[in-house]
Amino acid sequence: MSRITSALGFLGLAVVLLFAAPAANAASPAESFVQTNIDKGLQILNGRSGSSAQRTAQFQSFLESLTDIGRIAKFTLGNARRGASDADVASFNAAFKSYAQAVYQSRLSAYTNQTLKVTGSTERAPGDIIVKTTLVDPSQSGQQPLEVDFRVLTDGARMVVVDVSIAGVWLAIEERDQFQAFLAQHNNSIPALVAHLNQLTAQLRQKIQ
Amino acid sequence: MWGRFPLLATALGLVLAGCAGVPGAPKPGDPGDPDEATNREIFSTNQVLDRMFLGRTARAYNATVPGFVRDRIHDLIVNLDLPDTFANDVLQGEPKRAAQTLSRLAVNAIIGLGGLFDPATRFDMPFHDEDFGQTLAVWGMSRDPYVVLPVLGPSSPRDTIGLLVDVGADPLNFIHFKQHLWWQAGREYMKVLDLRARNIRTLDDIERNSVDYYASMRSLYRQHRDSEVRNGKEEVEKLPDF
Repeated sequence: MSRITSALGFLGLAVVLLFAAPAANAASPAESFVQTNIDKGLQILNGRSGSSAQRTAQFQSFLESLTDIGRIAKFTLGNARRGASDADVASFNAAFKSYAQAVYQSRLSAYTNQTLKVTGSTERAPGDIIVKTTLVDPSQSGQQPLEVDFRVLTDGARMVVVDVSIAGVWLAIEERDQFQAFLAQHNNSIPALVAHLNQLTAQLRQKIQ
Repeated sequence: MWGRFPLLATALGLVLAGCAGVPGAPKPGDPGDPDEATNREIFSTNQVLDRMFLGRTARAYNATVPGFVRDRIHDLIVNLDLPDTFANDVLQGEPKRAAQTLSRLAVNAIIGLGGLFDPATRFDMPFHDEDFGQTLAVWGMSRDPYVVLPVLGPSSPRDTIGLLVDVGADPLNFIHFKQHLWWQAGREYMKVLDLRARNIRTLDDIERNSVDYYASMRSLYRQHRDSEVRNGKEEVEKLPDF
């Protein structure tokens, strides 16, 4: 129990990544990309101008430019996409996009004051880079910083974030594990998964408003 | 004192038996959960128990005990586990990390008023956690299969044996004073309560946002334990392709 709760404690902060403040000069293009975009995300979130709906739309647009939601959706669907109809995959992609945005938004208020420092990067393969950062919560003085990694892919000239890890837990892998388990429990029905995602998204949106 | 050695001997026997049958690397996408149906039932029961007792107590604890006091309890709990971390650092052949743990223990015991404070972190002395489950992993024992223990939650045979050894071999067990068993029981309960109380909001969020809460917990547990075994070092070559 204690081990899993500590793991969960770390995971809960994972969504901070897109909203925390960077505090170091980045060296490589991938590091600069992470730092610059986190800064941009913070500006949107902490902005006072415009309505809440406008900021939400602005943030969703920002997320779309920073991440490759389509590629993440494809990854999280895993083996189930083989043999699935194009219509099922398309509806899953749309449902996943809304779900991901709603999950990030629902947690924003708690994590905007964190600070993030880029500490380096590792190239896994050409165009596949892990940017390492540490996350500090100023309200928890004396607490150990959390290690947070961004996985950045170069898609042509464009860089995109496809996964985020906090304390060794990769979120897209965790989502893929959930979706596979759900499908195994529901006769591999992608429409059932889409319906469930839509239901969760609606609940989250209701909570945000 | 000697009455606890059979437990240790049994645990070590299980360890050796487990090491003898180390299975190969897990297949990609295999959750390593052959008894999933049973595990899901135990998980559901644990959730009910959590809602009735632990979760409720943790909320009351957060609401009634001042943050400063909760932090002192947390620091004390963490510092009391440092001897266990030190022993496992040594068993894993990590002298540098063992020295770090020993330094933290000395600083926090002396300057930190017996462990009630954590000045070592402010002095840039990094914290890390080790346990016998991680030691078994370093020695080559597989993480599979995934199991959910009644009340205790996600685990594996490796981590269950590790837990038994860690509790049985805790140096404080061998210091006998008046009502020391009650003290030990209280300490173990406070460990769980402290972690639950610190993660109430996070757990609530994950449960509310999860497509499959059981699978989410399983993935979190396994990924996090793997990371702990690697001492936080990412094996980037083993990450899946996107």
